[in-house]
Amino acid sequence: MSLIAPAFTIAGKDLRLEVKTRDVIASVGLFVLLVVVTASFVFPSGGEGHEGTAAGVLWMAFMFAALLGMGRSMAIEKEDACLEGLLVSPAPRESVFLGKLFSNLGFTYVVELVILPVFIVLLDLHPGAGAWVVVLSAFLGTLGIATVGTLFAVMAVNTRGREAILPLLVMPVSMPIMVAAVKVSEAGFLGTWTSSTTSWALLMVGYDALFLLVALATFQHLTEE
Amino acid sequence: MDLKTDVAQSPVLDRGPADVPSSPRRKLWGGLTIASLALLLAMAFFYAPEDANQGAAQRIFYIHVPSAWIGFLAFFVVFVGSIAFLYTGKRKWDDVAAASAEVGVIFTSAVLITGPLWGRPVWGVYWTWDPRLTSFLMLWLIYLSYLVLRGYVPEPVRRAKYAAVLGIVGFLDVPIVYLSARWWRSEHPTQFVVEGGDLPTKMLVTMLVGVAAFTFLYLYLLAVRVRVGRLRARAEEAEVAR
Repeated sequence: MSLIAPAFTIAGKDLRLEVKTRDVIASVGLFVLLVVVTASFVFPSGGEGHEGTAAGVLWMAFMFAALLGMGRSMAIEKEDACLEGLLVSPAPRESVFLGKLFSNLGFTYVVELVILPVFIVLLDLHPGAGAWVVVLSAFLGTLGIATVGTLFAVMAVNTRGREAILPLLVMPVSMPIMVAAVKVSEAGFLGTWTSSTTSWALLMVGYDALFLLVALATFQHLTEE
Repeated sequence: MDLKTDVAQSPVLDRGPADVPSSPRRKLWGGLTIASLALLLAMAFFYAPEDANQGAAQRIFYIHVPSAWIGFLAFFVVFVGSIAFLYTGKRKWDDVAAASAEVGVIFTSAVLITGPLWGRPVWGVYWTWDPRLTSFLMLWLIYLSYLVLRGYVPEPVRRAKYAAVLGIVGFLDVPIVYLSARWWRSEHPTQFVVEGGDLPTKMLVTMLVGVAAFTFLYLYLLAVRVRVGRLRARAEEAEVAR
């Protein structure tokens, strides 16, 4: 059986659930907006080099958004033993992982794309065409965080700590992708793409590919009882 | 993959600590540790020459560098133990990985404490975002989260699997952390970091004795913690059987 088709079925299920309840988009979207607005107050805005600060604030907000969304998305599967249902279905384990990854990535990315213009206006940034670089870095960065996060969310939801433990697992491991994403986003806000930006972007691609492989290889071990 | 075989085969569950034999190697590692640590102390203070630039502060390196080496070794053992556990399902590999992570966190903490103690007199600051320092801080945080995760999963088999996945992801992350810390740092002017360079022979010999002494200490602590892990597992199983 193909890996991708069942994965899209599972992601589609999450999408239909989301269309009906609007749980994740509403809570995560409002949360990110609050983080961005709060950050605009607590950090000095404007001035030389404020693009770097802006990129940092943006990624702290994105990280929190991803963590909140992934925790919620896996908590839903925990209710009424939905995850067990997915696991006994004929879909391969890898597809279950990919399905949850697609929906986590999709929801987080949509929220990010909605918040990005607001962020650019609020923090008085003038990226011009560099905005596309930020859009790219948001995708690569969120893919990495969502890959590691989806893997760890399966673990976290089965611990005594539930979703509360998810940030403790995800944040230390995602430090490289966060740094890289901030660097590429900063380049985007400045509108200057240099050779070091290329290196950072490649580091994100490498991180995404490596942990996607690791996640696909280890996910089955997490889900067998 | 039957994870409970080694427990199920033991005839009596509540026989007590004597049932988990003390390894003879543990005593050997213990003896070698005491002897070599005493030698290291003597050499670090009386054999190794005083550094012309850094003065007595440099002598902390005979603890700092071996601790860093053991930190890496310990987390490499966690990585190997985690893969071996997922592959074989044998509980002993989880015991080894868990014990090694505990010991590794202790040594990494030692690195993070001795580093600033040296950095203050020599660099003038306790902390700088040097790639090595940054990497060790992240290493320490990753394995702290590993220990926290273990504490949050009561069921032994599930705990072992979860920890193994984090043990693998965490270790593979370390080179990327180092790379990103190096690039990150190279974009900002930072103070000159003293490189090892050519060590005088006496210093090098002392350093090697330190590495040997800490390796024995690591093996000893590992053996002790593996045994504690087995005893705890026995206690958990006895609790379940009751």
